[in-house]
Amino acid sequence: MEVSKYNYYDILEISQQCPQHEVTTAYERAKTTYSGENPAIYTIFSEHEARELLKLVEEAYAVLGNKTLRAIYDEKLSQKNVNLADLSYENLKALSKVSVPEAPKKISSEPVQKEKDPNFESEYLALTAWDGQWIKKVREYKGLSVGYMSEVTKISSFYITAVEEEQIENLPAPVFVRGYVVQIAKVLGLNEKLVADTYMKRFKDKFGK
Amino acid sequence: MAAQVWAIGAGKGGVGKTFVSSSFGITLSKMNSKVLLIDFDFSGANLHTLFGSELSDRNLRTYVEGKAALAEIISSTSVPKLSYVQGFWDTWGAPSLTLEKTKALISEARELPYDYVIFDMGPGPHVANLELFGAADERFLICNTEPTTIEKTYRFIEAFICRELQKVTNKEQHQKLITALQSFHIKEKSNVLFSFRNYLQEATNIDVDFFAELEKHPVRLILNGTRSRAEQDLGYSIKSVCNKHFDFGIDYIGAVEHDNAVWQSVKSRKPVLLDKPFTPLAGQFLSICKSITCPNFQSNLYKAVV
Repeated sequence: MEVSKYNYYDILEISQQCPQHEVTTAYERAKTTYSGENPAIYTIFSEHEARELLKLVEEAYAVLGNKTLRAIYDEKLSQKNVNLADLSYENLKALSKVSVPEAPKKISSEPVQKEKDPNFESEYLALTAWDGQWIKKVREYKGLSVGYMSEVTKISSFYITAVEEEQIENLPAPVFVRGYVVQIAKVLGLNEKLVADTYMKRFKDKFGK
Repeated sequence: MAAQVWAIGAGKGGVGKTFVSSSFGITLSKMNSKVLLIDFDFSGANLHTLFGSELSDRNLRTYVEGKAALAEIISSTSVPKLSYVQGFWDTWGAPSLTLEKTKALISEARELPYDYVIFDMGPGPHVANLELFGAADERFLICNTEPTTIEKTYRFIEAFICRELQKVTNKEQHQKLITALQSFHIKEKSNVLFSFRNYLQEATNIDVDFFAELEKHPVRLILNGTRSRAEQDLGYSIKSVCNKHFDFGIDYIGAVEHDNAVWQSVKSRKPVLLDKPFTPLAGQFLSICKSITCPNFQSNLYKAVV
């Protein structure tokens, strides 16, 4: 056994594969062994030596008892030509603080604006009674997919489809449906009050709520 | 198939070697193996006392003096499949047990038609004890939770290591090792992680890589007479100290709890496991024996059931 200050697995006398709870058990056993007046160390280790050993045990557990630090330590150990002095608790702790930059948020499908159709635009801007079919038409005219709508509005695409298809059985209470319609109308650049009022009126008339 | 030799020793007297040996014998014979117990305590044998038998002329003394073969001095016990050999009970004129005699005894014991031959050794690291301990297939060290016993257990392990070192080195090298070891005890150790093995290597330049060989048949530690969980955990502490100090891995195989049934049965001169077969001790011995004879068996299950 190569004895090194930084061979934490040897200090706690466990294997590198052992699960996390066994690390804690090993630490507790080592702590009882080398602290206080344990009869097992009498005549073998002096008080001073036991204190030094206890320090090593504490440092070993500070690293191995922490999942993040243990993972970094394992990775460092597996590298060849590892400098053992790099493996001190302080160094590993500093390494764990290096933040990994978060990947930029990906939006699944960017809107693809189709050719402008002034006739259609003036038609829907003049509309005074909205329904699901019209919302769908406008969305498709603007080249926005259901998935994109869902990501922008945070409404599940299931409900967006349900609003467009007016599937009463798939929709929640009217107060939520109104909220959905407002959000959708905002994204589509419509007058959200008009759209929501007329959509909900139709909704209540149609389904008697 | 040759019989397996189990040696049961301890650093100090009175820690329960005879109790553990007889309990092993009974447990193994209950597991349907043929077992022979040999009382190897030449400082005063008393295996026969546990079984409540009378003193007999046919004991280990007649074997050592060459008057009888080992097979002729075996007596039966009340347990089927369990026999035993009485030890020297007349210690005042005990014949000296030479190294050759010990070696011959071990090889003769292996040839007997038994599955297990269990040697109940005397206390302390005598030459004959160490020879037997080194030659055995399974070695057990019995220890209790008193500091005196633990200290003597370390001394026993140290003596055992030195004895085994003698086998792999020549005379000059061994003398060098012994001198190095003596100075090791006096020297103030500057570095905490300065281990016994590393020290030998540095001080003598002799490669002492035989430790790995020794660990293949590890010394198995049994803590006897434990009264609490904390006392049972002492076994792990002893194991850890052996690891850190000697670089010598021992196997902590289990604890045997303190039980009033033990002294009551000894007083009535009956083995505990026969006198009071339903003590928790029976389960503890069963799980220890199971974990050695079938290592893959979930021995903890047994502890829960019995």
